[in-house]
Formats: sequence, C-alpha cells, structure tokens
Amino acid sequence: MIYFRKPIEGIERPQMEADVTIVGGGPAGMACALRLSQLIDKHNRRYPDAPLSKENINVLEKAREIGQHCLSGALLDPRSMDELLPGWRREAPLDAEVEHEGVFYLTKKKAHRLPITPPPMRDHGNYVISINRFTKWLGEKVEQAGITIFTGFAGSELLFDGDRVTGVRTDDKGMDKANQPKSNFEPGYDLKSKITVLAEGTRGSLTKQLVGRLDLDKHRNPQVYGVGVKELWEVPSGRIRKGEVIYTLGWPLTTKEYGGSWIYGSKDSIVSMGFVTGLDYADPRLDPQRVLQQFKTHPYIAHLLEGGKMIRYGAKTMPYGGWWSMPPLAGDGWMIIGDGAGFLNSQRLKGIHLGIKSGMLAAEAAFEALLANNFSAAQLKSFKEKVDASWVKDELWEVRNFHQGFENGLLHGLFHATLQQLTGGRGLHAIYTTEAGHRRMKHLDQLPADGGNRAQLLGKAKGDGKLTFDKLTDLYHSGTKHEEDQPSHLVIHDTNICNTRCVVEFGNPCQHFCPANVYEMEEAGDVPHGKSIHLNPSNCVHCKTCDIMDPYEIITWVPPEGGGGPNYDGM
Amino acid sequence: MKILVCMKQVPQKDAPLKLNESATWIRDDVSYEVNEPDAYALEEALRQKEKHGGEVVVITAGPARSQTVLREGLAKGADRAIHLEDAAFVGMDALNVAKVFVAAIKDEKFDLIFTGLQSDDYGFAQTGVIMAELLGWPHATIIMEIQKSDAGIRVKRELESGFFQHVTMPLPAVLTIQSGINKLRYATLLGIKQAKNKPLRKVALEEVRSAAGANLQKIEKLYLPQKSKKTEMLEGAPGEVAKKLVDKLRNDIRVI
Repeated sequence: MIYFRKPIEGIERPQMEADVTIVGGGPAGMACALRLSQLIDKHNRRYPDAPLSKENINVLEKAREIGQHCLSGALLDPRSMDELLPGWRREAPLDAEVEHEGVFYLTKKKAHRLPITPPPMRDHGNYVISINRFTKWLGEKVEQAGITIFTGFAGSELLFDGDRVTGVRTDDKGMDKANQPKSNFEPGYDLKSKITVLAEGTRGSLTKQLVGRLDLDKHRNPQVYGVGVKELWEVPSGRIRKGEVIYTLGWPLTTKEYGGSWIYGSKDSIVSMGFVTGLDYADPRLDPQRVLQQFKTHPYIAHLLEGGKMIRYGAKTMPYGGWWSMPPLAGDGWMIIGDGAGFLNSQRLKGIHLGIKSGMLAAEAAFEALLANNFSAAQLKSFKEKVDASWVKDELWEVRNFHQGFENGLLHGLFHATLQQLTGGRGLHAIYTTEAGHRRMKHLDQLPADGGNRAQLLGKAKGDGKLTFDKLTDLYHSGTKHEEDQPSHLVIHDTNICNTRCVVEFGNPCQHFCPANVYEMEEAGDVPHGKSIHLNPSNCVHCKTCDIMDPYEIITWVPPEGGGGPNYDGM
Repeated sequence: MKILVCMKQVPQKDAPLKLNESATWIRDDVSYEVNEPDAYALEEALRQKEKHGGEVVVITAGPARSQTVLREGLAKGADRAIHLEDAAFVGMDALNVAKVFVAAIKDEKFDLIFTGLQSDDYGFAQTGVIMAELLGWPHATIIMEIQKSDAGIRVKRELESGFFQHVTMPLPAVLTIQSGINKLRYATLLGIKQAKNKPLRKVALEEVRSAAGANLQKIEKLYLPQKSKKTEMLEGAPGEVAKKLVDKLRNDIRVI
C-alpha cells in the first residue's frame, strides 16, 4: 500500500499575515524580493512619514539552503543583473566570461563544426556561472536587505477566497509513511498574503493548481518541456578553455527527437556538461539519463573527459513553449514569474536573465499595489503591461514560433527557424501551434521491438564507472536526501492504470524517463501482468519530468517535507 | 534551569569535499549544517526548559556563516545566542575551543552545559569534557536521558553492547549528548521570524585570545583514502568454508 502526501485535514492551523509571499527562492524569486526591497527603501527615503514595511515580505524556499535545488548550465546574460544591481560583477560568483564558442553537428563517429556560429548561440559577453552559487549569493543580498527567507518550507497548497488567491499553506512536517502525524508533527502554516508571487520554477506545483482551477491554459499553446540531465566534471587541464562554450546537435538523438548538449568550460578545470532531451519523444523506452551516457561515448566527447572525474549530477526540466504558451501572468492576489510562467528563450537556451527581469517587473507591480492598497486583477495586470513594454517581450516575441517549428523533427525545424529568422520570428504562420509533449508518445506495438534506429537511446545505461554511469551511481552524486518516513510526494491518482493499462500500452515509461530511479516495476503475484508499481520517493531530484511526461496524466508532483531534495552544490 | 548548548557548524554529510591547497583541511565552498549530536543537545535543552523553566543559550565559534546554526537554535526556541566570530576558530583544537568558550561565559551562571557527543567533522569528542575540567564541574558523556532530582540530576549513559549506566550527579555539570536521545522538532515560521529579534552577542577573537594558547594539536596532512580491493577465496567443503567465513567475520573483520 502506497500512501500519498496530502495536507492533513480537520486540524487547527497556525496563521500568519503577510503583505507579499514569494514562493520559490530561485533567481526570479530573489530578484523580485530584492527589487521590492529597493523600491520600498527608495519610497521610505522620500516619504519618511509614510513608510512601507518590509517586515511582512517573505520568500518560501523548499530547499534546506538557498540555491540547493537550482540547476542550469549555466550561462548568464548579464542584461537584467545590470539593471538590478549596478556593479554586481565585482562581487557575484562568476566563473568565466565566454570567450570561445562552437556549434557541432554530431554523427555517430564524427563531429562537424558549423562554419559559423548561428547568431542566437553567440555568447560573447555572457558568463559561465554555477547557478547554485549565484543564487546563494543573491539570497545573501535579499537577507541583508531585511527580507525573511524561510528555507526548508514549501508551498503545499494555495489558499483561495472564491477565485482570489489569499495566500499559501506551507508543508506539514512530521507526517509518517501512512500519512499519520508523528510525535514531532508540525502543521503547515496558513500564510495569508495580500499578494502571492509564484516563483516555483519549471512546472511549479502551486502554479499547476492555479492553472487548473482558473483554466489559465485556455486559448494558448500548451506548455512543452525538455529535461536537462547534467554532470559536472573535473578534467585534466588543457582539455577545454575557461570560458569556452560548445553546443552539439544530432547524435545520439535521431532527427526526430528534439534536443542537444552543452559543454561549458568553467574555472578550476571544471566542465559543466549535459544533454537536454525534448519531452515530446515517441518511444516510451527512451531514457534521458541514458542519452547523456551514450552522448559521452562519442569519440569527441570521450576524449574531452578522459582521465577526468564526474563530481556532481542532477536533472531539471525546462519550459520551451515560449510566448504562445505563457499563462496569464497575474490575477486577483497572484502573479507568476520565472520558469513557472515560461520566461525562457528556447532558441538561445537561456532563461535566467528573463526570470530575473520578470521578478523585477513583478516587484514593481507589487510595489504599486501596496501603495494603492489594491491587490485585484485590475491592479496587478500592470505586471503584464510592464512585461509587454520591456525588452522581455522583444526577446521572446522574436522566437515566439521557434520551438514549435521543430515538432516534426530537426530538418523541418531548421527550415522553419531560418524562415523565422528572415521574417522577424513569424515564419509560415502567425501563430505556430503545438501539442503537449506526452501526447506524442506511441504505444509499444507501434514501435520496433528492438528500438530500430533509436536503440541507443532506450533502456537503462549500464555504465563503465569511469566515463559512463548507471542511474544509481549518477543519482548518488546529486546529494539528494529526504526524510524517509513520510508519505510519497509523487502522487499517482490511480495505480491500477500503471499495473493494468500502462504496463501493456507503454511499458511503464516512468521507469525510463525519471532520471532519479524513483519509479520501478516490481514482480508481483496479485496483478494481471505480474508487475506492480513501486516508488522510491527519497530518490527524487525534483525535476518534474514525471508530472509532465506521464502519458495518462495521473502523476502529480507535490513538494515533500521541506528541506528534502537534491544538493546541487556548485552546479 | 539555565542551560548552555554548544553548537558547531559542520560540512553537510553528503557534500562533495575538496582538500584545500595545503591539504590540511577542506575547501570551504561546500554546504554546511548543524552538527547532528548538537541538534539533539539543543532539543534536549529545550525540553528541559519546557519541563523545569529557565533559559537556553546557544553558543558557537566560527566565521560569519556559522551564525546560521545559532539562528536555527533561536528559531527552535533558544532564548539568546553567543557567537565567537572569527575564521580562526575553524582550525582551533578542542582544548582552545573549550578555553575560549569558558572565557566567553565567565560572567554567566549556568546549571548545565550541553555539547553534542562529538562533531561530525573532527570527531574529537573532547570540547565538552575539557570545559568541565576547566570549570571544575563534573561531567558525563554519551547521555541518553536526563532527569532532574532534588540534589541535582540523574542521567542515563550509553555503554557498549546495549548496556546503560545510570549516574546521579550534582549541578552544575557538563553533559555530552548522544544522537537519538529525543525526536527533533521542526522550526516554525513564527519561530524563525521571532528569532530575528532575539539577542545575539558577538564576541571577537581579541576578547578571548588571552584565554587561548597555541594549538597543541594540528592536522599535518589530509588525503583521500586509497581505494583498494582484496579478494580472498575460501576453499574447502561447504561446511568448512562456512566455518572459516564465520571465523573471519568474527575475528578478522569483527562484524559479528
């Protein structure tokens, strides 16, 4: 019997009042907090008789420490940071300025360098950073500004009054495996807030609740995602230059899967590398962690890593959908910023600068709302207006049709991308539509039993322990840790579907797409096909792939007890 | 009862460690956490206070980052904190840490001082014991239970092989607390918020330097263990092999 996490009912909950609650302490949430603090400071200097308080502005962060759940390549476009904190480059943890770049098309044995680097992939002036360290640093700035960051607290539910968001309920702590309170049980707070800013990152769980309840996904493209599986390597010096950026397309993917790799030369002979696989692939046996392992066996990559050591592992999804997939950004009592709203440029493979800018603009909207003492949709819609009037819209508008063009494979994609480049982003259609990626998954009986030309992407990676690793070895390097005695935070709404339908139709793709080995099919006697779903929630790295890619849409990722999760030190 | 809890910030257990350039300690760009037995010591102090009243004070020695452990202590219910703030405390041996702690609390009158049994990084298990010696107080180690009595306290110590020892001792005293003595509480939002306004006294190295001497113990060199694998085949009939195996497990490897 698997018990699934849900907030305990029928108890008295402690309450707390807040002006602004920011859910999620990533770059977007931190930028929002910092900008809001700056605006309040400025106001209070100008109007010392009518000061605004920062006392009741809070950030909730589910990780035990700021930055621990942040994962990205990462390249930082400095544009928004220049606006947020002039002079920031002198003190921020920047590993290298990008000085060399190259794009390669890989075949099984060869690497063909593109004669010119396409303009969107030119990264001069950007910085290679560890998003973990960078966010930690931003967090220090926020705390110094006098804003409270509650680390180890997740938002487990939104509080509503009708359709108005009135705050957030934090996670219940001290629930045992069977959903019963332990002796140290601590109920989640009802954090009543005038404004709730959802900054949860990719596929945020509260954002998903809100989108579902208010039908925010109507009249727009569904959000589509990719999952990036990353390894940090320490390599012998001289293999890659500090500030060198390499992208690859092609092998091991076929032309039908979307995706590619990044390889960044950081400081101290550290290489950040990883592979992004679009979560719209057809074969349910595809395993994104396997794709990365396969990729590393390419002679060009294997040479780069030879004699090196893998030091950290992680995975996270990213929203690709762009402008046409973004939900409404604000409503009664709420705003959505960062990856959760889809502030990501899928052509440039960058979103941190957009996340930061979205947080800053939301802070301006929140500040005006506080002054007006009005937190309605009519007031907060100024956030959307600010986005539309900013360079964020210019940047995203140009690539509004980019990812959709790749839906039918690489060749179509390059055709559309070129055409869009020539027509200011339009291409063949004003709006390129798309469909949710999990709908493109095919039944096993429609696919070759041996995988055909995709065999190299399917099934578990074995790993040689030096260059390539099996999933559990990789997982160990994610540092992920959860309280073991708690209900499963991967909520499967109907496990019968796993054991009776999915096992036949798709062969339980959860075992393959999860980069953390959370899902396993175990031999069992009491089910029709002899296999029954088993969960290892403690392995979870909070990437959200399962919530996105499960073909029956029966998996919901909810936050586990606060403090649990990966430890992406240096990632 | 007025209780002092000595807490330490240590690298997280699963943090990827790198040696510093001189190979005498690790690089400090890792995540940190409260030393586990210290968390239990704090919890025990809070429970004693809830039962008998009094005050809980938390103390640590370390650079600015180590203030986090004090904040955590305050958020969970400690009344105030003392921070001996300097990076120099990181490399200090247990004798000197005990000396500077004692110097920092010379104007206070505690009934009890708790430390964790040992630290997860150095693992000396000395600081508490030495403090007792410096103060001239009795101490007891590996504490699993504390009961207040008329004359003082009665404590339960964990010995080897499932044995326990009960000791009655007078106050004031120093106790080193074993992990698992209680169940840790969670910090609450309100607790974290309130912690911001609780008193935190900073003590500079200069103020206590005269109490400390030169390090008597220092790390010459740290290195990663060389991984070596040895396989030994046991030969013979199954019965014999089983006997040899038991003998090895019991006498050579000592796991049964």
